[in-house]
Amino acid sequence: MDDDSVFLGTISDLFAAWSQDKWHIRQATSADQALDILKQEKIDVIVVDANMPVLDGVQFLKILSRRHPELKKVMLTGLATEERRSACLANGAELFIEKPRSSDGLKAVFAMLDELMTWKPREGFQGMLRKVGLQDVIQMECLGRNSCVLEISNPQVSGRLYIEEGSLIHAILGNLTAEKALQKLLSLAGGSFQLLPFEAPAQRTINGPWEFLLMEAARVRDETAQEASVDGEASRETSPSAGDARQSTVVETLISSEKGDVLYEWQCANAVNRMAWMQSVAQAAAAMAVDSPLGNFDRLELSGSQGRTIAQARPDRLVFVRVAHQPASA
Amino acid sequence: MNETLQQWFDACLGTLGTLGGGVRRPDGSSACRSADETFPTEKVERVVELLAQFQPELSSAMAAPRWSTWQFEQGKIRCVCRPDGWLFGLVVRTESDAANNLNKVSDEFLALDLTASNGSS
Repeated sequence: MDDDSVFLGTISDLFAAWSQDKWHIRQATSADQALDILKQEKIDVIVVDANMPVLDGVQFLKILSRRHPELKKVMLTGLATEERRSACLANGAELFIEKPRSSDGLKAVFAMLDELMTWKPREGFQGMLRKVGLQDVIQMECLGRNSCVLEISNPQVSGRLYIEEGSLIHAILGNLTAEKALQKLLSLAGGSFQLLPFEAPAQRTINGPWEFLLMEAARVRDETAQEASVDGEASRETSPSAGDARQSTVVETLISSEKGDVLYEWQCANAVNRMAWMQSVAQAAAAMAVDSPLGNFDRLELSGSQGRTIAQARPDRLVFVRVAHQPASA
Repeated sequence: MNETLQQWFDACLGTLGTLGGGVRRPDGSSACRSADETFPTEKVERVVELLAQFQPELSSAMAAPRWSTWQFEQGKIRCVCRPDGWLFGLVVRTESDAANNLNKVSDEFLALDLTASNGSS
């Protein structure tokens, strides 16, 4: 589908010839025409120009995803931006391709479409990850007390997370396992994931509440970004994040619902006081953020030479975790 | 502010991604400044005041924290309180140079010689 009928005719002729007339190509110069064709015929793949007049390509994708969820969708654009790519992939496009400007480029597009024709989705879900997306998927599985294997990959790496009855039990990424692998996987900026049926891993390398594991991974990611920009040694000598020679131990955990019900507690001397404190944290944060571009509050982190405390306020729950640093030799 | 503090403060607020910052003296007076039109000076003053008010509350969650970080979807607020009563608050955008620099400026604030600064105790 493209409003440029000349381009449409040319590319259709070429692709039909290259497919040796195995492809049956229908052409539409508007969304209305395309929807009419989809009503009348079974179409395997639709290629949509992202810059259509009247109905924007992304909006059209949303309609297609709703009305024809089984249809494979490809976006073709003359102006490929990361924002547009994300929007298209998030709205169900299987491929996002820049309009070719050469014969070789056209052949590459043809090859991709030909491959897509024969592609059959595997069982389970598939989607694009954008930073917190992976955390959300893990949270969803853990809160649902599900068992599954989350396979995560991008062009550089591939790894797996094993979730059993809502608990993270193992992570593997290349030579890394356990928390190191989990933290590395959660630091990926993007990629694809699949939820696969649960299978027992060869070993169990992770223990502890998943909430803490996710927050710890977020902390490590933030610190890695910070340390990368700091002029190394001088800062590390004075920074409480200088944890290479220390071990961290969780000494207190409390998770409560938004109504104040204790969902999980470990070594929390006074859960009522702790929840009241977290409520006051959330209130203070809300006062700081009012009429500002800061957005919603996520968490308060306290750092000191003796340890670290994290208080996270989510709409559905409050999480408090206190970690003590100990010398590695202790 | 003494000259050292002023220069350090100016450098902090000049880092890309900084929305605003302020220093609160032990006598309760403060010097705050906006670094981005979306976060006016009045807002920075309010944040620094809230940080100072909340500081005693932190001790129930951790004894003598070196600093605290209030993390939001689009920004972070770093609060550093020195044993001599000086408090520093900095508001930055997430994933910015300023956000990556938080530990460095916090360490610098803790190490500043503020004995000659106006209003110090």
